[in-house]
Amino acid sequence: MEELDLLKKDWKKNQNFREVSEKEIYTMLHKKSSSIVKLILIISVLEVAFWFLIGFLFDSEQYFKKLNNPYLVDFFNVFTIINYLVIAVFIYIFYKNYKNICVVSSTKNLMKSIIKTRKTVNYYIWYNLGMIIIGTILGFALAFNTDPNLMKLTEHNDSVFYIALIICFVSIVVMVGLFWLFYKLLYGILLKKLFKNYNELKKIDL
Amino acid sequence: MSNELEKSFVSQLKENQNIIHKICRLYTHDDDEHNDLFQEITIQLWKAFPKFRGESKFSTWAYRVALNTAITLYRKSTKSISTIEFETGRHFIPQEEYNYEEEEHIKLLYKAVHQLNDIEKALVFMYLEDKDYTEIAETLGISEVNARVKMNRIKTKLKQIINP
Repeated sequence: MEELDLLKKDWKKNQNFREVSEKEIYTMLHKKSSSIVKLILIISVLEVAFWFLIGFLFDSEQYFKKLNNPYLVDFFNVFTIINYLVIAVFIYIFYKNYKNICVVSSTKNLMKSIIKTRKTVNYYIWYNLGMIIIGTILGFALAFNTDPNLMKLTEHNDSVFYIALIICFVSIVVMVGLFWLFYKLLYGILLKKLFKNYNELKKIDL
Repeated sequence: MSNELEKSFVSQLKENQNIIHKICRLYTHDDDEHNDLFQEITIQLWKAFPKFRGESKFSTWAYRVALNTAITLYRKSTKSISTIEFETGRHFIPQEEYNYEEEEHIKLLYKAVHQLNDIEKALVFMYLEDKDYTEIAETLGISEVNARVKMNRIKTKLKQIINP
C-alpha cells in the first residue's frame, strides 16, 4: 500500500479531537486577530503617521518667509499641495488593495494581494525618502544662494561650503542606509514565511 | 440580526470543527499552538462569514479559509521541526486489532509529513481529505497538472524521509 494511503486510513479513523463548545467559540469570536494582515495594517498606519509628522516637524515655511522671497514661498506652497495629494492618492490605493485581500480566494491570490498591499506602503516610503533627498539638495542650494548670513560666510572662504556639502551628503547616505536596513529587518522577519510559501507555490507552476 | 448571524455561525462551526482541528494537527506542534491556530482560524472564518452566501457548502468554504489562515495569515513562526518531538500519541485511540508495526509506521509517516513545508502539507491535507485535483489546484491557485506532479514528488519525498 502507498504510504499516503496508509496514512489516509489512519487519518480517517483518528478524528477524535477535544470538542470545542459553543461557549468557547463565542468567546473566540470576540478575541482580536493576530494575523499578518492585521499587523501590516497597523505598521502601515504608523508609517504614514510617522511621515506625516516628519513633514510637520521639518516645516521650512518659516525659514522661507524669513528669506522674504515670494517665489520661494509660492514654490513651497505648490510643493506642499502636491505632497498632500500624493498622501491622499496613496491612502486611497492602500485602502483599495487592503480591501481586496480576500481570505476566500486561492492561496496564491491571497498572497499576491497581501504583497501588493505591502508594496504600496513601500512606494510611499521611497517617495518620502526621495522627497527628503530632493528637499535637502534644494534647501542646500537655496540657502547658499539666498541666505545673506551664509553668503557672507562663504564670500572669502570656500571651505565652509565644501564642508557643509560633505556633511549634507554623508547625512543623506546614512539616513537612507538606516531606513533601508530597518525595513529590510522589519519585513525580512515579518514576511519571511509569506515569501517562502509564495515562492514555493510559484515553483510548482514553473 | 447580527445575533442571528452569530448563532448560525457558531452552530455551523461547532458541527464542522473537525476541519479546523485537522488543519491544526498538521500545522502545529503542540497543544498551545493548536489552540492558538484554532482561534485565529475561527476569527478569520467569522470575519469572512457575512460574505458567505451559501453558494458552496459551509465545509468547502471553511476548508479554504482555514488553509489560507494556516499557510498565509497565521503569524507564529513554525519552530524548527527537528527539535520538536511531535506527540502523535495524543491522537491515537487504541484499536481493537492492534498492529504494533503498522502503528509505528504510521507514527513515522506523521512525523515525516510534519517535516514537509507549508504548501506540501496543504496538498497532503487535501489528499487525505479525498479532495480531487481540480479542487486542490483551485484552492492553491496552481494548475491541475502541476498539482498532480507535485503530489507525486511529495510521495517520493515522504518515502525518502522514512527510508533514508
